[in-house]
Amino acid sequence: MILNKLSKQGKGELAFASSFFLLGIFVAWDTSGMDIPQDNSIVSPQTFPYMVAAFASLVGLGLIVDVLRGKNGVPDGTEPGDPYSPINWKTMGIVAAAIGMHVILLETAGYVLAATVCFWGVAYAFGSRRILKDFLISAVFASIVYLAFSRGLNINLPAGIFDGILDNG
Amino acid sequence: MGSNFTLLLDGFQTVFTPTNLMFGLLGTFLGTLVGVLPGIGPALAIGLLLPITLTVNPTSALIMFAAIFYGAMYGGSTTSILLNTPGESGSVITALEGNKMAKAGRAGAALATAAIGSFVAGTIATILLAFGAPLLAEFALTIQPAGYLALIILAFATVGTLLGTSRIRGLIALSMGLVIGLIGADLQSGALRLTFGNLNAIDGIETVTVIVAIFALGETLYLASRHTLVKASVLQVDGKAWMTRQDFKRSWKPWLRGTAIGFPLGVVPAGGSEVPTFLSYGVEKALSKNKDEFGKGAIEGVAGPEAANNANAAGVLVPMLALGLPTSATAAVVLVAFQSFNIQPGPMLFQTNPEIVWSLIASLFVGNFLLLVLNLPLIRFWVMLLKIPTHYLYAGITTFALLGAYALNNSTFDLQVALAVGVIGFLFRRFGVPITPLIIGAILGPLSELYFKRSLQISQGDWGILIDGTFPKVIYGILILVIIGPLVWNFKKSFAIKK
Repeated sequence: MILNKLSKQGKGELAFASSFFLLGIFVAWDTSGMDIPQDNSIVSPQTFPYMVAAFASLVGLGLIVDVLRGKNGVPDGTEPGDPYSPINWKTMGIVAAAIGMHVILLETAGYVLAATVCFWGVAYAFGSRRILKDFLISAVFASIVYLAFSRGLNINLPAGIFDGILDNG
Repeated sequence: MGSNFTLLLDGFQTVFTPTNLMFGLLGTFLGTLVGVLPGIGPALAIGLLLPITLTVNPTSALIMFAAIFYGAMYGGSTTSILLNTPGESGSVITALEGNKMAKAGRAGAALATAAIGSFVAGTIATILLAFGAPLLAEFALTIQPAGYLALIILAFATVGTLLGTSRIRGLIALSMGLVIGLIGADLQSGALRLTFGNLNAIDGIETVTVIVAIFALGETLYLASRHTLVKASVLQVDGKAWMTRQDFKRSWKPWLRGTAIGFPLGVVPAGGSEVPTFLSYGVEKALSKNKDEFGKGAIEGVAGPEAANNANAAGVLVPMLALGLPTSATAAVVLVAFQSFNIQPGPMLFQTNPEIVWSLIASLFVGNFLLLVLNLPLIRFWVMLLKIPTHYLYAGITTFALLGAYALNNSTFDLQVALAVGVIGFLFRRFGVPITPLIIGAILGPLSELYFKRSLQISQGDWGILIDGTFPKVIYGILILVIIGPLVWNFKKSFAIKK
């Protein structure tokens, strides 16, 4: 079986490559079911998406062939650290969760809380363990950004639970 | 020609009002400040600073942008030299020799040759831009939609296949960008594509969100995914950031050669600053009398590529301004900045908004000069920034990127998009897929469809129009050379090896 010969990186990359092949098929499927409003133009709004779909599937196939032949990608190495180290799902998950929390909290609890949680979470994921100090730095950072943008630049950020506290200060 | 010169002088007059000069100064400072932070390249720096300009009038904002543009470029080279983290492909070479120089206690000379070289290259390149862009714009008025389509396809091919380690991976990135560009309502018929009933998606995906998320969030996720975080050590700058007469003698020719290589390769879509900086390095190595110093910290190896990098960045602005076609991530952000003020770069720009274009060009000169004056004396301040602990740095980058994504439309939908694009950015880095083709695809994809449709409308549905006329034929000829050339080259090489 050819799959057994692939390295772990190769298997991951095979899944990655296949997803582009599938992405092309998906775009074609979406295009085929497109609601076309009264259209008098010469080129149908479906033509270009079909071309993009074909292109994505084609290069996806190309990458699948490349990976099966053992030509793996070279991970980005312009930052410090070993690009070939195995993926640390935990730290990456924390960063993703921190971003996710920011998305959820922003319009419910307000910018300051959302940004504090996000800043703190990313710092934690990157190995900082001074929980209280980090929390204070996060809160100060978030508050300064909030005040600078909402008052200094007139860009509205949700005040949330701090409504009336930070704004009337 | 004479009238263009007058317009440029008018531009200088606009820049030299106290308010605008202040915005230029602020832009230089902010650009360097953000660009110097490890992990932030010029495109991301400009993208992150975009919300700040939203509240300023267009002219002042673009003056600030010009300053941010060169400031971020300069900041990036400082990071490469002192921290050995190039952060983006254009600075890889600078890190190679510059960091070796810094380790040998010659950080001051490396920083000085980078700064002065960037100034020389930037100034020459901006002069060429000031003369070249209007000429190109005038010629561009004669280009038919089919010609534009040909140009875009050529840009796709070069950006897609010249970047990174493998051609197919560049094309993968391009296809992802094209798919992102499809999302939303079709401009002409209003038909919805890939929106899944989400009302927010009808207007399409914000390019700034894509750029900021793919660089900032993608990078943060990628670094977090690595098992061990290695802390890069900041090298000290001993004494002043300046060069000796000897350094100067060895630098000035590489500056000029770097400019000569970088600018033209920016004007033609050659896929960003990677190719010109590598070329410049190769040339300097071949011509140098001190070949043995290369790889151990040769000043020519910093002077040439740094000049090439800056001249290239200015060169990329020529097709961006005159044709409305960005061919690098940085040019793409500048294009978006124009669009956020409802100004559409392209051949008409020089006629419809002359005061804005010429103020922009004038402020490129001024920003470049301010950098030279500000940065070398401020070097100790910039070095301090390099010492920000990694965990706070990336926490700050992430939070700021999300702020930028949100502030554009005040919508959490943009934040969800940012998270999704960030994950794509992570996967791309992990599997060695270059980022720039995705951005180019997302921006130029919808534009290519527009020109495609216009062409077929002119010809009443006859596809022959796409290769009708001299201009498209020439462009497709170049395209064939770009695709086949390297294949023949590889075939010859492998044939020679077998023999």
